[in-house]
Amino acid sequence: MTKQRTSGVSRRTFLAGGTALTIGAPGLAGAQPAAVKVGLIHPVTGFVAYNGQQSRLGGTMAIEDVNKAGGIKSMGGAKLEALLGDSQSKVEVGVSEVEKMNEQGVAAYIGCFQSPVGIAASQAAAKYGTPFLVDVGASDLLMSRGLKNVFRLKPGFGVCVDDGIASLGALNKAANNVAKTAVIVHESGEFGTGTAKLLASKLPSIGIAAKELIAHDNPTRNFDNIALRIRSLAPDIVMMSNYGNEYMLLARTLYQQKVNVAGFFSILGGGFNYKFVKEMPDVSQYMMDVNHWYNPKSPQAQALKKRVEATGALFTFEVYLTYSNVMLLADALEHAGSADKEKLIAALAASTFKAELMPYGPTKFVNGQNQGGRPATMQSLKGEIEVIAPEEFASAKAVFPKPKL
Amino acid sequence: MNRPLLFCVLGLAAAIAYPLLVPNYLVTIGMLVFFTAFIGQSWNIAGGFAGQTSFGHVVFFGTGAYTSTILQVTWGWNPWLAWPVAMAAGGAVGWMIALLSFRAGLRGSYFALITLAFAEVFRILANSVPFTKGGLGMLIKADPRPINFQFKDPIWIYYLALLLCIVSLLIAWQLTRSRFGARLVAIRENEDAARALGIDVFAEKVKVLTLSGAMCAAGGTFYAQKYLYIDPGIAFGVDKSVEMLLVSMVGGAGTIFGPLIGSFTLMGINEVTRWLASVVPALKNVQPLSLVVYGIMLILIVARLPDGLMSLFRRKPRHA
Repeated sequence: MTKQRTSGVSRRTFLAGGTALTIGAPGLAGAQPAAVKVGLIHPVTGFVAYNGQQSRLGGTMAIEDVNKAGGIKSMGGAKLEALLGDSQSKVEVGVSEVEKMNEQGVAAYIGCFQSPVGIAASQAAAKYGTPFLVDVGASDLLMSRGLKNVFRLKPGFGVCVDDGIASLGALNKAANNVAKTAVIVHESGEFGTGTAKLLASKLPSIGIAAKELIAHDNPTRNFDNIALRIRSLAPDIVMMSNYGNEYMLLARTLYQQKVNVAGFFSILGGGFNYKFVKEMPDVSQYMMDVNHWYNPKSPQAQALKKRVEATGALFTFEVYLTYSNVMLLADALEHAGSADKEKLIAALAASTFKAELMPYGPTKFVNGQNQGGRPATMQSLKGEIEVIAPEEFASAKAVFPKPKL
Repeated sequence: MNRPLLFCVLGLAAAIAYPLLVPNYLVTIGMLVFFTAFIGQSWNIAGGFAGQTSFGHVVFFGTGAYTSTILQVTWGWNPWLAWPVAMAAGGAVGWMIALLSFRAGLRGSYFALITLAFAEVFRILANSVPFTKGGLGMLIKADPRPINFQFKDPIWIYYLALLLCIVSLLIAWQLTRSRFGARLVAIRENEDAARALGIDVFAEKVKVLTLSGAMCAAGGTFYAQKYLYIDPGIAFGVDKSVEMLLVSMVGGAGTIFGPLIGSFTLMGINEVTRWLASVVPALKNVQPLSLVVYGIMLILIVARLPDGLMSLFRRKPRHA
């Protein structure tokens, strides 16, 4: 009598399978695709260290999220690996980080916060044909050089000024053209000067004359003289375009010196963020800013905001801009199916990435600049930052002119 | 062959072979070492050999960078031709500052402060006048061909920096052997005594600042061609002045090799601490650590070796 088999798997089959698995396992492990190296270059030390650290936070969180979601699927689940670089706010150091990461086999760079560093670093990346995603740099010089490897998801200061002028024009019109003159205070570097010059040339189109452009250095630790000058000029609006610390210090000085104007309206005001609004609610009350901002109606943005705040950090624009750039890169890798630099550049150029966190239109790159990128206009109201334009993303109604101090 | 010459030959051979053996990143770091040594030497010639300490040497650097960039971008000059003009402009600015300052009898800390003031004035001017494009800065079109003073392979810019450094060392060496150099040392040690000996102190000081300014301006053009972008903050920023002064002081002011040793040491410390902060897991999120270590090393060097690292190589006097 022969024994009836009770299982579908015989001892021989089991052993054969087991042996095959034992022999094959290392091979399977070896089949795990190589990680795609992403260079994150930011000024995590130096005078804009806070901004650089925020960018790094956003970038590393995005890489974690991509990896948790299974990596780049078209590349067999390849993980992203962050190469962290500190530009120290210096052009030379930014470029040497590009060189160092190139030796380490970087697939793409994301950086560098400051436009001058970004200009030189992306130029260095162009030598190797490596994609360079500008996450925060606002200068339009970055995108005017015809470099095929440079991409920018966010709008440059040209678009921000245009949108800002339109937004201010609409506010002023609704307030019976209460504002007729403005003083523009800007940092003396490429970003502030470029923005201020554009503003001065475009303000007359909405019936506002720029009385004076006042430049200040980085860093500036006392704004008393500038505040006195503004008071003597008695403008209807004060417009600011500068980095974080100077923005906050100037705002506080104007508040302390009781400079009464119809409104404070900044374009890319580096300090208009939760830190400023929470720490100085009285100073920031009714101040307006045209800047990169997340879409308050996006559930993904709200979820990320909660996560970031749970770490004790603030959800500033650097965080979600760098986060979005990592996601853009991951999307391009997915479409390219490879980390090959040429294929990746082609995928980025043809990208239709949906920037879920941002109040953007459809992504379309023309000469590396996303045409769908646009800023939002915000206002600080009772210790909160509210979006007041574009209308479809607005979370509150603007207060303009502001009540007198 | 005597020992110093042997060291020089071996050092030169190592410097020539270095970029052939290391990756591009380290070639760039090597280039920065020689470039910083070169601009440091330009400071050393005035501040070290002649004792005319300046806090605003960047004024010459920026003049050189802007002169060649304006000639190139606005007037379509070839950068190689613009380079000597930039040096002449730097020399002219040195001559002018020397003339104004020394005629007014400024010495020591007063002279140091006036140079700082000149650098600030130039920075503000560069921010204000239209031909420098103000704060927008000036972008040099990338066209990496040697005829355009741009190189695809970093090895060539490295060799150019090495060449500049060698030229600056030869100038410094010549100063230690020439009558002009001896007069400068006399002025540094005691200006009144030098005058009593018949040295035309004013003329010698003007000459040395002109030479130093021309050298530093050459560094400015080199920088602009390497990074292809300058703005007033980059070209006239005080940090470059500090860098020049620091490498000379740390290495040994008034010595031939001081700026080179200083540049090598400071760049080395900076790179090693940055590397440590990026590879040691516990230090990964402590980025400023590299700067803290850098600062501590600097304090130790200045405190323990006030005459700079070159004093380590000096022969100790024999005791009977």
